[in-house]
Amino acid sequence: MEDLGIISLFLFVLFLLLGSGVWIGLALMGVAWVGMELFTTRPVGDVMLTTVWSASSSWTLAALPLFIWMGEILYRSRLSEDMFKGLAPWLAGLPGGLVHTNIVGCTVFAAVSGSSAATLTTVGKMSIPELRKRNYPETMIIGTLAGAATLGLMIPPSLTLIVYGVTINESISKLFFAGIMPGILLAGLFMLYVALVSKFSSNWNPAVEPKMTFGQKLTNSRFLMPVILLILVVIGSMYAGLATATEAAAFGVIGSLLLAATQGSLSWRTFIDSLMGATRTSAMIALILAGAAFLSLSMGFTGLPRGLADLIAQLELSKFELLMALLVFYIILGMFLDGISSVVLTMAVVEPMIRQAGIDLIWFGIFIVVVVEMAQITPPIGFNLFVLQGMTNHEMTFIARAAVPMFLIMVLMVFILIAFPEIATWLPDNIRQGPR
Amino acid sequence: METHWLRRLLDGLYGVSSFFAALSLLAILALIVLQMTARWTGEVFPGAPEYVGYAMASASFLAFAGALNKGSHIRVSILLNALGGAKQRWLEIWCFGIGTAIAWYFVFYAQKFVYWSWKFKDISQGQDRTALWMPQSIMLIGAVILAIALTDNLVCLFIKGKHNIVRDGVKDEGEAA
Repeated sequence: MEDLGIISLFLFVLFLLLGSGVWIGLALMGVAWVGMELFTTRPVGDVMLTTVWSASSSWTLAALPLFIWMGEILYRSRLSEDMFKGLAPWLAGLPGGLVHTNIVGCTVFAAVSGSSAATLTTVGKMSIPELRKRNYPETMIIGTLAGAATLGLMIPPSLTLIVYGVTINESISKLFFAGIMPGILLAGLFMLYVALVSKFSSNWNPAVEPKMTFGQKLTNSRFLMPVILLILVVIGSMYAGLATATEAAAFGVIGSLLLAATQGSLSWRTFIDSLMGATRTSAMIALILAGAAFLSLSMGFTGLPRGLADLIAQLELSKFELLMALLVFYIILGMFLDGISSVVLTMAVVEPMIRQAGIDLIWFGIFIVVVVEMAQITPPIGFNLFVLQGMTNHEMTFIARAAVPMFLIMVLMVFILIAFPEIATWLPDNIRQGPR
Repeated sequence: METHWLRRLLDGLYGVSSFFAALSLLAILALIVLQMTARWTGEVFPGAPEYVGYAMASASFLAFAGALNKGSHIRVSILLNALGGAKQRWLEIWCFGIGTAIAWYFVFYAQKFVYWSWKFKDISQGQDRTALWMPQSIMLIGAVILAIALTDNLVCLFIKGKHNIVRDGVKDEGEAA
């Protein structure tokens, strides 16, 4: 690293702008500008425009608004009601009973939505009152919901993975497939935890569900079938190599519009609301990505990424030690920043390190998503905690404490991923090559 | 109290801009569907990925101002929430000040960028052969409207002591971050 003084000034501006509350996308642009002015003699403004234009006008990026829109449509459909009614009869017999509807419901909705907040609200809207009525322990209802909703970030479609893929220029479809097995495994771990608590906890005495015949169960879940079908079409079209991620997203939007229409929950109002909502959320992320693209370029000139990669090489950290350092780093960062911002902000610096250490970038995408998921349920800024606070009127501390076991399960998941990387890499290595 | 004509004009501008952003999103969907249909029927739709890219850029840039006024753009608000009253107002002025400066800086170079694209008749590298100044001017328009929206909020902070950002419920990822 050439000049520590200038680098510190650069980092100071970064923390100043972000910390004082300047909108993240604009703050990144500002920091990048400072970096360019300090480290190069290039015409900064012109370089900025070229970078931002090519980052914003991208075919791959178009998957983002479409997947957001798909989630917005289904969020406004009656899926929320159907989810609980359809899942409850099948899960009532398991040890842990209907608490599993939280986890399975989140897993299913995660497969149509890329955001953990939308997953949380859609599932929680019905399951919180229903589970309370049946006298399940409140900490379990809240905790499992907070934890399982983070699956929205991992199970495809995942906005975080799209952003990660666009940032490091990796195939979105591959990343999506890498997320499937870890996502299901994580859901399984959550369910195992619920089952164990139900066996060993002393205040576990929920109301017993009435017995249902197989036919009744099917009738109750008939509305869920179209959603499952939609998931299979979207994921299947990518798996079979029939469609790219962007094209699969278009399938998803049309499918969910049809689904909402046949359910009778598609009105002009909900159509417009979902479209405008998707436009805004996607613009929010696009602004961050535009800023981040310029910042990556500028970071390159500061020599910071190379310097740090060399430093790591000199320290001769093992892969495991490096990953542990990154784990702690991202958990701390995640206390203050949301997942997408943490990813784009750090990738310019972290990517060379990861490549240097010989870590697979697809695998690392899943690693980073698990870590970012943890950030969703850690105070002071854990987004799922905010949403749950709004929904239940509990104290933030109560919700955060209820989510602690889920946090620990995710830490366990990180170690499982490190020990068995194939969980993430096997599927993407075996998909058929898609168009282009 | 009757709304000032300038207020109505500005809000109208943000509305129209958001409307065209939504249309661009619809265009993305339509283009992708056309492209897939073409592929399945053995036809070619030359330049579809490029057109989708242009629509993506306009969907984003035209929505920036609307997203700002609805509080969709995320920021780290710990400090803002911790401060109250006058201090919070000064911090907001700082944020909008920085934001406004960056946005107008972007606009200045964006108009230069579009002008040179037009002057040199820059053509897309893809199969679409589009004259690039056309899609690029939509980015410029969006950037100008964002800069106006930021300036608008900054001026309101000075005059009325508060900005015009109104959140409509918590739902988008990271809005509260």
